[in-house]
Amino acid sequence: MDLLTPDTGLMFWTVITFAILYFVLGKFVWKPVGEVLDERETRLKNSLAKAEEAQKSAEEALVKNKEMLENARAEVQGLISKGKKTAESVREEIMTEARNEAAALIERARKEVRLEQDKALDEIRKLAVELSISATQKVIGKALSDKEHQQLVNQSFKDLGELN
Amino acid sequence: MILAYNLLSMILPTDPSEQHGGGGDELMHHVLDHDVVHLPTVLGIDLTISYHTIMMWIASALLLIFLTPLFRKKQIVPHGRFAHTIEAIVEFLRQDIIYNYIGKEGKKFEKYLLTVFFFILMNNLMGLVPAGAAATSDISVTVTLTLLTLSTILGAGMRHNGLFGYWKGLIPGGVPGWLVPVLFPIEILGLIAKHFALAMRLFANMTAGHITILSLIGLVFTFKSYYIAPAPVIVAATIGVLEVLVAFLQAYIFTLLSGVFIGAAVHQDH
Repeated sequence: MDLLTPDTGLMFWTVITFAILYFVLGKFVWKPVGEVLDERETRLKNSLAKAEEAQKSAEEALVKNKEMLENARAEVQGLISKGKKTAESVREEIMTEARNEAAALIERARKEVRLEQDKALDEIRKLAVELSISATQKVIGKALSDKEHQQLVNQSFKDLGELN
Repeated sequence: MILAYNLLSMILPTDPSEQHGGGGDELMHHVLDHDVVHLPTVLGIDLTISYHTIMMWIASALLLIFLTPLFRKKQIVPHGRFAHTIEAIVEFLRQDIIYNYIGKEGKKFEKYLLTVFFFILMNNLMGLVPAGAAATSDISVTVTLTLLTLSTILGAGMRHNGLFGYWKGLIPGGVPGWLVPVLFPIEILGLIAKHFALAMRLFANMTAGHITILSLIGLVFTFKSYYIAPAPVIVAATIGVLEVLVAFLQAYIFTLLSGVFIGAAVHQDH
């Protein structure tokens, strides 16, 4: 046997061995491995595409959500300012009403006071007449005639009116 | 052969007291094949089972034992480190060699190229096992593999470009008519040389590593000194690590070139 001389026996066995390996490994290893690798590749591609799609739709939803949120915020803002305005006007109304009412009350109280005052004045006048009559009777000692009486009363009324 | 022997004899100083020409002979005995089971010669083929034949069978048996049960169930989600490694290698070869150089026709040659790669790799690694030998360091095996590649190339070329179209396609387009008779033999020679180089590359790389390691270990016995011994052993161990790389590299190169040649035979216009 020589280093550089091919040996037909070993060549023959190599062909046989290689052929067996080729068919057995080809059938039981390379074929399933290739199929698995191919399938994995397509699945990966598909799931990546799906993920991309999902992301896109999620982004769209996010934009939509943001828009909706913005709208809602604006609406709420409008509602709040409207409510504020309404409250303001209501307050104003209530205030004026209260003011009017108070003014009316005061007015009525004033009238009543004036009425009472008049009444009291009348009574004072009556009392003053009676007092002056009895005092005069006592001073004069006798009753005056009706004509004199009337004259005196009128005189004292005039005085009182001047005093008043 | 005689040259190689003389060179080795010169490298390794021989002990004059030895009768068989010294360490060179001993070394060649380790590198060369030897018969194990003698079988009759049938149709001019000596069926004798040699040491390299057995090593080749062990390598092939290991491949069958380890690889066959691995993918019995198709699993889309990767499973296990070993299966993962094999898948990664297969995917690398498919992307880097098969589909890269042959294109979509590569699917037809996928099985052949993958088998070639793992067959060569396993045989190369057998050379690193103690008492083992790399069948790929035998010219018979590498020449056979090359002939298989050559027949694959010729078959693929003639199937894709027609029986005569392939041979016509060997000559580059635009060559003047009178040059064809000159160019055709050159192209044929080139085809043979490419494949001869393929066989020689693998054989020489595998043999050279073994001879280097054996020579280094031989130094220990040549010097017969405990003080010298560590140096050759350390260097031999380093070369041994390098051999692991070479085992993978040569399997890859053989597969790569086979793929490139097949690609060139299928797509002749490029």
